[in-house]
Amino acid sequence: MANHKKSDENLKGTLYATFGLGIFIIIVWALCFNLFIDRF
Amino acid sequence: MTAVITKDKKVTHNNKGNSKVISSTKVDRKDAKLALAHIMVAFIALFVGGLCGLLQVLVRSGQFKLPFGIGYYQVLTVHGVLLGLILTTYFILGFQTAAVSRTAGALSNKQRKTGWVGFWIMTIGMLAAATMVLLNEASVLYTFYAPLQAHWIYYLGLTLVVVGSWIVGLAQSLRYIQWRKENKGQTSPLLSFMVVVNNLMWFVATLGVAAEVLFQLLPWSLGFIERIDVLLTRTLFWYFGHALVYFWLLPAYMVWYAIVPKIVGGKIFSDALARLSFMLFLLFSIPVGVHHQLTEPGIDGFWKFVQVVLTFFVVIPSLLTAFSMFATFELRGRELGAKGVFGWFKNLPWNDVRFLLPFIGMVAFIPGGAGGLVNASYQMNQLIHNTIWVTGHFHLTVATTVVLTFFGTAYWLIPHLTGRKLTKKMNNLGIVSGILWSVGMVIMSGAMHIAGLFGAPRRSEYSTYGGSEQATEWISYQVAQAVGGTILFIAILFIIGIVVNLLWFAPKGEEEFPIAEVAEGAEKTPALLENFKVWGVILVALILIAYTIPLIDIVQNSPLGSKGYKFW
Repeated sequence: MANHKKSDENLKGTLYATFGLGIFIIIVWALCFNLFIDRF
Repeated sequence: MTAVITKDKKVTHNNKGNSKVISSTKVDRKDAKLALAHIMVAFIALFVGGLCGLLQVLVRSGQFKLPFGIGYYQVLTVHGVLLGLILTTYFILGFQTAAVSRTAGALSNKQRKTGWVGFWIMTIGMLAAATMVLLNEASVLYTFYAPLQAHWIYYLGLTLVVVGSWIVGLAQSLRYIQWRKENKGQTSPLLSFMVVVNNLMWFVATLGVAAEVLFQLLPWSLGFIERIDVLLTRTLFWYFGHALVYFWLLPAYMVWYAIVPKIVGGKIFSDALARLSFMLFLLFSIPVGVHHQLTEPGIDGFWKFVQVVLTFFVVIPSLLTAFSMFATFELRGRELGAKGVFGWFKNLPWNDVRFLLPFIGMVAFIPGGAGGLVNASYQMNQLIHNTIWVTGHFHLTVATTVVLTFFGTAYWLIPHLTGRKLTKKMNNLGIVSGILWSVGMVIMSGAMHIAGLFGAPRRSEYSTYGGSEQATEWISYQVAQAVGGTILFIAILFIIGIVVNLLWFAPKGEEEFPIAEVAEGAEKTPALLENFKVWGVILVALILIAYTIPLIDIVQNSPLGSKGYKFW
């Protein structure tokens, strides 16, 4: 259990990187949506 | 109970002194031959298919014409079939055979014989289909859409490839079942479990294409029936076609989850999370094929929407995988003393081709996955449908994420199977091949994505479209695709050279088949995650929900149907 707690404390980079991926996906989607709205 | 690793076997000893072999650190020598046979066919397919890819991009640049009356669509069919179906399926089945033998134990003689029967059925089928394409009797591309009509031997050949793959997959799955029987109550080896999930998905998915070929395309091409319901064939194809994408991808995920952690010197973040994500991929790979048909009339909008929603669920296991990989890397980096939020990136083994190529594959999947969600968005699909954006998309996902992971795997798996060593020189050449591939693909796939947004069509030979102003805009991007494609072909030459070295010329020795252990702090894996009955019932229910009414609609409102056409 002690190990697990230590791991949790050390996973900040993992959390930020995963959120970063999510944000990247949303940005690409929004850019394409913008093109779509312009064209159709 | 204690566990010790002897020269090539991991053995457990209990208090009474009894011992039992629970896994081997090596692939059985006879199984290695079966695995190698598959892998060798895969790399022959890479060379021929890659050459055809080079010819295609050169033709599309407008600066090159195919000699000897060879048709563009003939070359395109060879490229798609050899790289999309043959390279992938053969490598996957070879890798999976080795993975099961390494983690669940050597195949029995009967299981191995079954594997060989499957291999030869696949190979006979492949040769039959290839002959028809070379004779210009089947230039129908790898999606073989009706009403384009190929020679019946082409359809029969592809059917044999699928049937053979079932038999090889059955041999692997039987070894897993045997392990479960011999080790009741224990969590099965992660890699073998993943192989069985992939085989199950493949079996359920290929039922669609089997129905399409056996009941429609074959009788139609043989002249037993005159007309065919085009929408039904396409719907059955995509029931299979999208899962095909995950059949390619899941073996790459096997490498990421179970092998890469060992290569970086770390542990699997969570065995339970890995199994959960595989089960979710199983559920959300099949009842989603209609998102490839969003612009087609004849399928009710409501059911398109249902399948779009199911498609978007795949984000969950994808981000679980990303989280798990980052966590493995971060924990390992911090063990090595990394500081700061992202300092652990520096501690990864960048000079190790076994890590670098799968890692580039992971990075490529970020834009690949983002683009995939654009493709699957109901209305937005109109923006990119049938444009070369889609070609750019799957050259990121399958032709970078998946195949770079496969190449990075082949570089240690082949010497492991042949009893040779991956030398420092081959490691460095492997890194060069991966970098060349990445540069070529950024240029080619990037140009495809941009030209696609300008409306450039996919599956089309070079044309100025009667001097159209819009088509003129695409040509510079087609030249860029030719530049990228040429670099990719140079990368293929490097890869083939390395593979030949590892097969026959590398120094004799022992190359490790790396398998990671689970992190000590990880929770125990719930038995539910190995209960195939529960997940199988959910899978069947989702497929029935997603497909029953659309298929009834298609059949009830079926038009007269179409005769076959040959435009080449």
